[in-house]
Amino acid sequence: MATMANPIDMQAGKDHFVVVHPLDDVLETKVDMDALGPMPMTRSVRVSLLSLRAYLILMVLLVVYHVVMLAR
Amino acid sequence: MTNKALSLTAAGVETEVMPVRGRVVKSKGMRDLLTFLMVFGPGLIVMVADNDAGAVSTYSQAGAQYGTHLLWIVLLLLPVCYFIQEMVVRLGIATGKGHAAMIYQRFGKWWGLFSLVDLQLVNFLTLVTEFAAINLALTKMGVDPRYGVPLAAVGLVFLVMTGSYRRWERTVVFLCLLDFAWFAIAFRLGPPLGQIVKHALVPSLPAGGITPELMFLVIAIVGTTIAPWQLFFQQSCIADKRLRFADLKWARLDTFLGACVTITAAVCMMIAGAASHTHGFRFTDPAQMAADIGTFAGPVMRNLILLMMINAAVLGTTAISLSSAWAYGEVRGWPHSLQLPWREARGFYSLYLLSVAAAAGIVLIPRAPLQLIILGVQVLAGVILPSAIIFLQLLLNDKELLGEYANKPWNNWVNWTIISVLFILSLILAAQVAAPNLFPSAAGGPTT
Repeated sequence: MATMANPIDMQAGKDHFVVVHPLDDVLETKVDMDALGPMPMTRSVRVSLLSLRAYLILMVLLVVYHVVMLAR
Repeated sequence: MTNKALSLTAAGVETEVMPVRGRVVKSKGMRDLLTFLMVFGPGLIVMVADNDAGAVSTYSQAGAQYGTHLLWIVLLLLPVCYFIQEMVVRLGIATGKGHAAMIYQRFGKWWGLFSLVDLQLVNFLTLVTEFAAINLALTKMGVDPRYGVPLAAVGLVFLVMTGSYRRWERTVVFLCLLDFAWFAIAFRLGPPLGQIVKHALVPSLPAGGITPELMFLVIAIVGTTIAPWQLFFQQSCIADKRLRFADLKWARLDTFLGACVTITAAVCMMIAGAASHTHGFRFTDPAQMAADIGTFAGPVMRNLILLMMINAAVLGTTAISLSSAWAYGEVRGWPHSLQLPWREARGFYSLYLLSVAAAAGIVLIPRAPLQLIILGVQVLAGVILPSAIIFLQLLLNDKELLGEYANKPWNNWVNWTIISVLFILSLILAAQVAAPNLFPSAAGGPTT
């Protein structure tokens, strides 16, 4: 899981601050995607992906209809 | 200068680090300002690049047909585009990876490939329309497009191949700031301020009420303001820039300011279209509109609009080509960073180069089927936008992936409302394009 890094990397002392460009800073540890693997198929995920499939099928049918109409 | 500072890694381990370069400031205000300026970029670029050649055409057509009556719709899109891109910001910062890679890893190979192929296709076709706009504008300026279009393509290739993310970003931010010229154009051509404010804040319909043509134009405005490539582009850009968790609030501000600039520029484009309409001209394309405006506002105004049209197409081209190259590189596991020189990221740069060169080449082919390409862009955009946003919403609810950065309930209410509206509009638009006989009276609608 991702956690917020404390922005103290920009504070070098009490009377001054050091600001570092992201490209010059040390690499931050992010969430390990490989360790997570695929998303768990909860009910909401399954319903969303099924709706998406239905939408895509409908779109393909519309395009086929368009091609048939053009051919006639 | 070199400074030693303390840092906490994402895992919470305190380590002593030696940043390569840092700047010392004495006040918190200066620290915040400097941090913002260092984080600033991806949000502005993605938003301003969204006002590409197609957007110039759509907004100016809306102004030419309906005056300033549709300004309130454009203004409504400000929170919509901000909310969508803000989700991308959180995802990019929390994972440090691009959108394409994330879909591939979390939803599997099938959905990953589907998103990638769809994105590459719609992006390429959009690139062709960008170069078609450059061609059109150059021709109106009296420049031979056989030289001008390849020159623009070469410039676009050199822009990314410097091996420095910062150099690319600074150049593109400069091009984005040129968009402020739209303010000058609107100021010179605009109707009374009172009318603009009234039509921007009070929803009203043009004379004739709701017609299929009006609906089509509204859908085109929404479609051109929220484009699928934006999700992929900004997340990859954030990953490439290596934004940190502490940068989140500044990246949000960057995105919000970008949204304000792009929506205001869209309003200005609409005002320019309205000015040509007021003087009795009929809209055919933005280059012709510029020529028409030149007849009553002078050649300087004509050339300024044409140059802004080219600038919009150039910005659109670099952002769209990069979103394609980043996405492909992420999925294939190729090195894919603007920080890398050509020899270390040949695949990434080659894809960028090929898409720019091929799109420019197609435009120069006499009698190229540009109308068919525009039609293809509309259908594919209709397919990919709801898909991309569904994936985005699912990923933003993935607590395993995002933890504290996952959507809150109010985020979900707002986002599902936006998604539902986009879904319906995309479906109507794609249905209209794929099966025009379903809406016979709306034939001949605008292009996006």
